[in-house]
Amino acid sequence: MEAVRKIVETEAQAKRIIEDAKLRAQEILESASAESQRVRQTAISGADQDKARILKEAREKAEADARSSDEETNALLENYKNLFENRKEVAVKKAVELILGG
Amino acid sequence: MEKLHNRILSDAKLKAADVIREAEEKARQSVEESRVQAQKDADEILSKANLEAESIRRGILSSRIRANRLRVLDEKNKIVQSVLKSVEQRLSDIASTDQFQPALKRFVAEAVDAVGADDIVVRVGFQNAERKSLDSLGRTLPTRTRFVVEDKSIDDLGGVVAGDVGGKMIFNNSFRARIERLDNQLLTTISSTIFGE
Repeated sequence: MEAVRKIVETEAQAKRIIEDAKLRAQEILESASAESQRVRQTAISGADQDKARILKEAREKAEADARSSDEETNALLENYKNLFENRKEVAVKKAVELILGG
Repeated sequence: MEKLHNRILSDAKLKAADVIREAEEKARQSVEESRVQAQKDADEILSKANLEAESIRRGILSSRIRANRLRVLDEKNKIVQSVLKSVEQRLSDIASTDQFQPALKRFVAEAVDAVGADDIVVRVGFQNAERKSLDSLGRTLPTRTRFVVEDKSIDDLGGVVAGDVGGKMIFNNSFRARIERLDNQLLTTISSTIFGE
């Protein structure tokens, strides 16, 4: 009788060991799930930050290039103004001669 | 009895260790798969961001370059129009210069030749032209040519218009008409002189 009781107790102890292990396994999987989520969050958040930086830099670079184009155009227009002042009389004379057909 | 007791506990511990090892392996795999997928997703975000950045860059630049091209074209057009306005002013005052008589003779000859009829009406009209000098030109024309001196400039700037008596054939040799006929050549001449193109 004592032996049977002892076996029952041992079986119960064994069952607890396995149940504890299952609980621990569950914790490990939950922790892994949380770790996966964190890894994903970190990667995506980093990529989103990089994206924002890339777009900002692209806009700034393009705006700088656009300003450079504006400056080139302003210089060109200034040059046209000078050319007009210096060559207007010759252009008028040539055009009049062309119309008169001499 | 003790042996049996130990055996039961030992089996349970082995099974528990297996359960935990399995969970750890599954967890490791799961985290690794998530890491790989997250890296893949992050790379895709960056790849799309680079494409978007290029698109933004091109959009900003092409829009500004287009606007600047328009500014340049607008300025060149203003300059050419300004020259043409001066040309018109110069033509409207041409009667007081020594270029007038030879040009008038050419205009009349061209117009008469273009109409090509026997009986022709030639009308001339210039601002500030001396009537005497116009009339003297009329006297040099063939007898069947009727010469009319208008009080006002023809087509605003002055010129010559010839036609047959019935009015079926008319050749407009006014300054305005010549400007229109020479439009392309004029623009080329003015542009090449001012801009060197």
